[in-house]
Amino acid sequence: MTKKNQKQFLGFRRADGSFGVRNHVAVISVMDNANPVARHICDRVQQAVPVCATFGRGPLGPDIEVHRRTMIGLGTNPNVYAAIVCCLEPKTANAIAEGIAKSGKPVETCVIQRDGGTIGATEKGIRLASRFAVEASMMQRSPCDLGELILGLECGGSDATSGIAGNTVTGIVSDRVVEAGGTTILSEPAEILGAEHILSRRAVNDEVAQRLVKIVKWVEEYARSLGQDLIGSNPAPDNIAGGLTTIEEKSLGALKKAGSSPLQEVIDYSARPTKKGFVFMDGPAPAVENMTGLAASGVHMIMFYTGQGNHSGNPIVPVIKSCGNPNTLKIMPENFDLDLSAVILGEMDLPGAGDIAMERLLQVASGRLTASEVLRQGEIAVSRYALCT
Amino acid sequence: MKALLMDQKDNVAVVLQKLETGKAVDIILGRDVVDSVTPTMEISFGHKIATRDIKAADPVMKYGEVIGRATQSIPRGAHVHVHNVISIRGTAAQK
Repeated sequence: MTKKNQKQFLGFRRADGSFGVRNHVAVISVMDNANPVARHICDRVQQAVPVCATFGRGPLGPDIEVHRRTMIGLGTNPNVYAAIVCCLEPKTANAIAEGIAKSGKPVETCVIQRDGGTIGATEKGIRLASRFAVEASMMQRSPCDLGELILGLECGGSDATSGIAGNTVTGIVSDRVVEAGGTTILSEPAEILGAEHILSRRAVNDEVAQRLVKIVKWVEEYARSLGQDLIGSNPAPDNIAGGLTTIEEKSLGALKKAGSSPLQEVIDYSARPTKKGFVFMDGPAPAVENMTGLAASGVHMIMFYTGQGNHSGNPIVPVIKSCGNPNTLKIMPENFDLDLSAVILGEMDLPGAGDIAMERLLQVASGRLTASEVLRQGEIAVSRYALCT
Repeated sequence: MKALLMDQKDNVAVVLQKLETGKAVDIILGRDVVDSVTPTMEISFGHKIATRDIKAADPVMKYGEVIGRATQSIPRGAHVHVHNVISIRGTAAQK
């Protein structure tokens, strides 16, 4: 049972002093070609979760580092007890495994070309994963402080309720986590275009402010180069029908997820924050891709508001789905962890909704399963900037 | 009937139910009812009602920030939207 103003929960301590809100045996396929092996291993072993790469074979340019950093980041996430790296060839398998091993976690590799092809690698993986699963089951949760939490902030399938209730409640949670000493990470520069000058005023110094403005400018110009006018097309007709009048208003609504805390740092997609407090991560807006970046950057969990309904999760981190649209809650109730419709119906005020959101956050941190975990909707997609040749 | 004022600096509130002309709406800020405004027209869920008189060219404030500029004078109780507000940053709603 959680009490009001509670600032502790129960997590799994790791060798490097971090803690996890989950205790996964992560079977990580670092390239698309090994995904079926990772999935087959997880089909056979309780507690093993597949983390299957998009692409990954022969990356070029910026993708070399982005892909490597993201796969290592996912394996290093504090919710992972042990990692099994599946790969076609040994060189990449070892590079990723070495990166993950720096965290002190148990890491092993299953290499198709070395370990007996598909069958041999899968068999090796099943043996390893079952051993890890038993080891993981011996761990007990112990008290952790809210100040150690790293929380991802997300929204998707937005509608009129997002800017009124949803994102505001996420922002209340963000401020409370930061006040307790924790870290929260917002992303999606495309979604704050039009309000980036307002967020940049919250930056702790000019360098951070300029970096934020720069990454928003980049996405605007990149979209334009592909024929998409982000400013000219926002708000979209359905936004306008829903009550959003200007792009400033729409982006400020998105920005509400970040509450009012100062902006400490701007980080690259899937990079680790070096500062505590509220941080902004560069990266595309589509949810699975964005949550992959957040999981790789080390978040313990993600707070995700959706008005129209988004069911996706992440294999490594629990995603708390909140919704305030009574219609959506009626259509797909099993996809949600937090019902905020009382705010929209005028039956609950925003601070009160913040309280119940915090309560749910602490419950999930201590082990309460989320809808996307129970329904196994976790998926990853690694951001990509160039084509392969 | 309720409408949410997102910040005390704001001059618009977001409507939580469809408002009918002449039926007063409570303006809520945080946990408190801070005002009561009578709508001068029908206003849909998620849309904005002016909580103060807004002069032409005045900033429209929401979330404590400027979200646009009034293109005509907007009396308290009126619907605030693309027909009487212009974005300072963008152009879409003006098309």
